Amino acid sequence: MLISPIILKRYNRLNNTSAITFLQKLFSSQAEEKIEIPKRIHRGPTDILRALETTISQDPTAAHYKYHDDPFLIPMSNVGKRTFAMAQEAGKKAAHWIRKEHADLFNHREADPIIKVFLPKVSFNEQSEVSEADLKQVINDVLVSEAQLVYKLLKDRGLDISNETRQALLELLCYTNDSDMLAEDFIEERWFRQSAKSKEKQRKIWKDNSLAEEIFISIENPTAEIYSAMIQGMCKYFQVDKAWHLYQESQEKGLTLSSEAYSSLLRVVNFLKESNDLRWALVEELLGKMNEAKIKPTLATLNAVLHSLSTMGGGKVPRTLALKVIREFKGLGIEPSLGSWYYVLITYCKERGPVSTILHDIMPEVENKEHQCLDMSDTFFFVTAMDICKNHLNDVDLGKRVHKLLHFGNNYNLIGDSYKESIYYRHYFGLTINNMPFEEFMQNIYNLLVPNIYVPEPGVMAEVLNQVDFNGAVEYLPQLWSDMIIFDHINRENLIESVLNIIENNKPEDGSKFHEIFAGIAWDLFNRLEEQGEQRFNKLRLTGDQLGKVMILLLRNKDFKKACIIMDKLDQEQHTVVGVPKIEALSMYIDSCIENMAPSRALACLQYCSDCGFPEVEDLGNKVHKSMTLDESNLAKLSKIVGPLS
Amino acid sequence: MYSLALKRTLIPSSSCVRVCAKNTKSEDPSSSSSSSSSSSSSDSDDNSKKAKPDNEQKLQRLNTLLQNLIQNDTVVKSMKLDLAKPRSGKPKKESAAADDVSIKTETIEKKMVDAVKSVASNLGGDTKQTESELLMKLLNPETSPTSSRNLMDVMKGMKIDRETKTAEKSRAEQVRSILQTAQSKLNHEDRKPERRMKRPPQQIRPKRETVVEKIDLFGGESLNIFTNKSELKDTTQTKTWQRLYERDLKLAVTHPPSNYFQQMILWTEQGKLWNFPIDNEQGLDEEKKVDFSRHVFLEEHLEPWCPSRGPLRHFMELVCVGLSKNPYLTVNAKIEHIMWYRDYFDSKKKLLKDVGALPAESEAPKAIQ
Repeated sequence: MLISPIILKRYNRLNNTSAITFLQKLFSSQAEEKIEIPKRIHRGPTDILRALETTISQDPTAAHYKYHDDPFLIPMSNVGKRTFAMAQEAGKKAAHWIRKEHADLFNHREADPIIKVFLPKVSFNEQSEVSEADLKQVINDVLVSEAQLVYKLLKDRGLDISNETRQALLELLCYTNDSDMLAEDFIEERWFRQSAKSKEKQRKIWKDNSLAEEIFISIENPTAEIYSAMIQGMCKYFQVDKAWHLYQESQEKGLTLSSEAYSSLLRVVNFLKESNDLRWALVEELLGKMNEAKIKPTLATLNAVLHSLSTMGGGKVPRTLALKVIREFKGLGIEPSLGSWYYVLITYCKERGPVSTILHDIMPEVENKEHQCLDMSDTFFFVTAMDICKNHLNDVDLGKRVHKLLHFGNNYNLIGDSYKESIYYRHYFGLTINNMPFEEFMQNIYNLLVPNIYVPEPGVMAEVLNQVDFNGAVEYLPQLWSDMIIFDHINRENLIESVLNIIENNKPEDGSKFHEIFAGIAWDLFNRLEEQGEQRFNKLRLTGDQLGKVMILLLRNKDFKKACIIMDKLDQEQHTVVGVPKIEALSMYIDSCIENMAPSRALACLQYCSDCGFPEVEDLGNKVHKSMTLDESNLAKLSKIVGPLS
Repeated sequence: MYSLALKRTLIPSSSCVRVCAKNTKSEDPSSSSSSSSSSSSSDSDDNSKKAKPDNEQKLQRLNTLLQNLIQNDTVVKSMKLDLAKPRSGKPKKESAAADDVSIKTETIEKKMVDAVKSVASNLGGDTKQTESELLMKLLNPETSPTSSRNLMDVMKGMKIDRETKTAEKSRAEQVRSILQTAQSKLNHEDRKPERRMKRPPQQIRPKRETVVEKIDLFGGESLNIFTNKSELKDTTQTKTWQRLYERDLKLAVTHPPSNYFQQMILWTEQGKLWNFPIDNEQGLDEEKKVDFSRHVFLEEHLEPWCPSRGPLRHFMELVCVGLSKNPYLTVNAKIEHIMWYRDYFDSKKKLLKDVGALPAESEAPKAIQ
């Protein structure tokens, strides 16, 4: 056979090579083989989980993990998402309440060692026996009202507390402004809480004559730490005059404040001085004082200075100063965080100022890096950067770079909260829809992000519809319409109007399947608006013109029966329906009546036309007269409507 | 206004005419026409019957009046049009002068054309031919370039004038044409079949050609406030404040977990979950201080008091085996347990001796004595 020699050859070669490698192995192992046992890498308790977590990539087609994985229970609209998540949170809160109210029911030890977070919270009342240890514990657990109570009890009993504990208590009270903070557990609430906090007008919210001030007054010779805590608290809650007073008092006493105290003062210079020049002079003065006192500034100091600069209006001065500040701190080994860049961005790109391309220079600094949250302002970077890409530069490439950075590593954590996230996506959508081919936009962005990651607001939806109209991309309309229903947009008049206009204006060719689809949409729209509850406050009503369009669409699909329903509505509710349909719609209806041999309907329509005062009623009447055989009574009616027939 | 008043008088009469025409057509006199129209028709009927010969005259007069009106109107309109013409910012005087010139040249032109006509007629033959030839010659630029250019300009101006004159449409025509254009515009706006074709995406805000100027973020000069960098010291006086701030920072990036592993990470961090890798003794810090041998080898606690042989020893050894296998008791609890038996047997010493469970006095260990 022919094959056998080849196989034989191959077999030999195989044998040879394997023999060689075997020999090599043998020799090499003889020469030197040192087994190196790798050093044990210490793993933290979450390292394994994190490793496993990296294997799961985000699936935009799935609903968020927090929702029940059930098609009937997956919320689609923004309101629904919020409601579902908050309902879950409310359940958690109810459980917390029961545990607190009926702490006696939870005496069993279900875990060993005890899981502390599952234990009922220690509660105190006027009769409780308390000690300093209790106070330390509640300060540690950030329980402000409990801390206040325990402190009061300790005072009443005449027990002294150490300076250290008193300092900790004072800092807690200053940090929280004597009010309780949202518990750590309520992640959803924090996520959905409208972050209007930052937008809210910055005004004095410091509680005067609170326990913090009481404690401060009771101390005879306040130390620098106590001054620092008070200044920081007052600056945080905009009690700037008192803070400045305390600062001067401490300077007279020659105390060295903390860098945080200086930072918080730097953050509020625009409340302390009137003009920008004076403000900057104060910033320089405070920084100079820090230098004199040999206090090392921190990232918080940098961001505080930049924050103040960003409030100093447009113009060239704050811009150059902002960069100088960044260089100065870089010289001190303090790298700017995303928050610093956020302040630089809002300093450079003012709404009414000249266009600045500084984002192009910032991006290389932050790109391809995983960022940690180092400052509270860090969460503002992405939403502002996207805003600038859209509204300031209208630069889609830059926008894509920002988007890529957001998805790098764990950077998505820095998106902030749900409110910032939706603003971010609003800008992203607005940017891409106007700068990308529409098909590409729908494929790569809309279908990917909607509805699980982002639900477009009505304004964004209007823009999408605009683009559909502009590109004549009516094939996307059924999808968009069902999305609009899900997102609860059908009570928006402008959206309804533009949907109707698009399907009416883009008449498909005869025999196209779109006739049926469009008629379906129009009919659905009509019915949904009809079925609105009576008790609804501001009910949306279709105008006569819109009803006419619905009728046209139905008639294009040869759906005479449904068109009759619309006509009946028009006829019977003449006084409630605003406006009249276009004559094209009515004449189309009459044509259809002729086709379907419905003389009485045609006559009703003619009557309606003449009631509305259309001059074309004569032509239509003649048309009806010519193309239909009318009986006596109908003829009489017809002549009554249009006058003598030709 | 005169024209308006005229219109007002005209319109009812014309409608009368129309109505009477209708009435004559309709055979049934008691036809169901509206009451108002019937009353008016009766009036017009009288008129038509009595003054039928007058009617024609009246109509004629009316027509002439209408014609006049239209002509007047168009004149007014053309004047208005002239006024509305954009003057392209030229000074008024100049344009007036230009008008003068145009009038003059026009007259010259007319004279010239007349002269050409007379010449042609004098010559005889094909007068039109010669006329056009002569005019062509006159207009030829080669003969006198400068003057002909002027003439050309003038001719252009004349053309425009003539056009405006020829465009003397009747008012009805004008209205119709305006309506048509408006209609066509409307139609154009409404009907968008051509929109079906794909166009490049529109840019609502035209992309401003922003020149990306490089800004050197770290290159320039700095503030030079911190002069003694090496001497600066960290000051973290407010430790609790710092701790709270860090807690807030952490919470700011703690978002709802997006998969089960993230949830487990969160629970682990909150201390609700066993740590990985699983360690059965997690959190049993007190027990870690005690060696396992003390849990398992409990016989040493028997040595001081228990007899070395006999049923008591046997029982106690079994107790030790049981205790050594109990994971729920601490070592102290186990020892206490043994000690309880010791005391118990001690209290029952007499009985035990009588039964013979305890050996004789001489052999007994010291503890129970």
